[in-house]
Amino acid sequence: MIFFKLLGALTVVMMLAFAQGCVVARGTIGEPLQEDAVSAIKKGTTTMTEVISLVGAPDRIVRGNDREIFHYYYYDGKSPGVLLLLLNWMRMDIKSDNLYVFFNRNGIAEEVVYGKRTGRTQFRLWPFGD
Amino acid sequence: MLCLLLCTGCSVRRVVFNDVLTLEQVNFIRIGETTIHELVDRIGAPDDISESEFGVVALYNWSDTKSASLDFGAITRLFLPYSPSLTLRNTGITPEQLQVVFDPQWTVRAYGFSRRRTDEPIIWFWPF
Repeated sequence: MIFFKLLGALTVVMMLAFAQGCVVARGTIGEPLQEDAVSAIKKGTTTMTEVISLVGAPDRIVRGNDREIFHYYYYDGKSPGVLLLLLNWMRMDIKSDNLYVFFNRNGIAEEVVYGKRTGRTQFRLWPFGD
Repeated sequence: MLCLLLCTGCSVRRVVFNDVLTLEQVNFIRIGETTIHELVDRIGAPDDISESEFGVVALYNWSDTKSASLDFGAITRLFLPYSPSLTLRNTGITPEQLQVVFDPQWTVRAYGFSRRRTDEPIIWFWPF
């Protein structure tokens, strides 16, 4: 019994020793876009007010082709690193989600454009390669 | 041991923002035919939309920032309480962009890459 306790303690000490210099960082901008809220926006029926109640106020409002466009975004970055005594390396992977809702002159959603990339953000330590 | 000595003082950092878009990935675009929905289905939503004199422009941004440095004083950390620093560092920030211009019917009017990707080495600390 004492042997297993010692082995467990030794394992923890070894893990902590090997983790020295490790860095794991994560940064986000904005709030993740809820898929169900995005899919609830119906072209030709959902109003500007309903979009705001579903997704929230937009991060940006753009005008294009004589229309109001609501832009929502979310950024997610993951960064592992190894900072050792003599050498160190670090990699950060950042991806973005974007939602655009195009409104016609009556304030009704005309087009919805949504792209999600943050699901593919990874903690990748090795800085070489793609 | 030799390998460790060669790596002494080396630092490699890399920041990758979004996926790289290549010419091959967008060669499905047909001027006057491809719609914004077809574009989003194939390469995702743009990072930005703005209006220009020629129509609405969708912008896809990505970058691959590489930074490498070599500290010639790092080896002294093994022997001295104070380690002098003599560092050479090179950082290459390469923002790249695909711009797609739409007509009022949201079909592609024009598109192009603002910059071409340069295949710089990841480790290149020489700043001169």
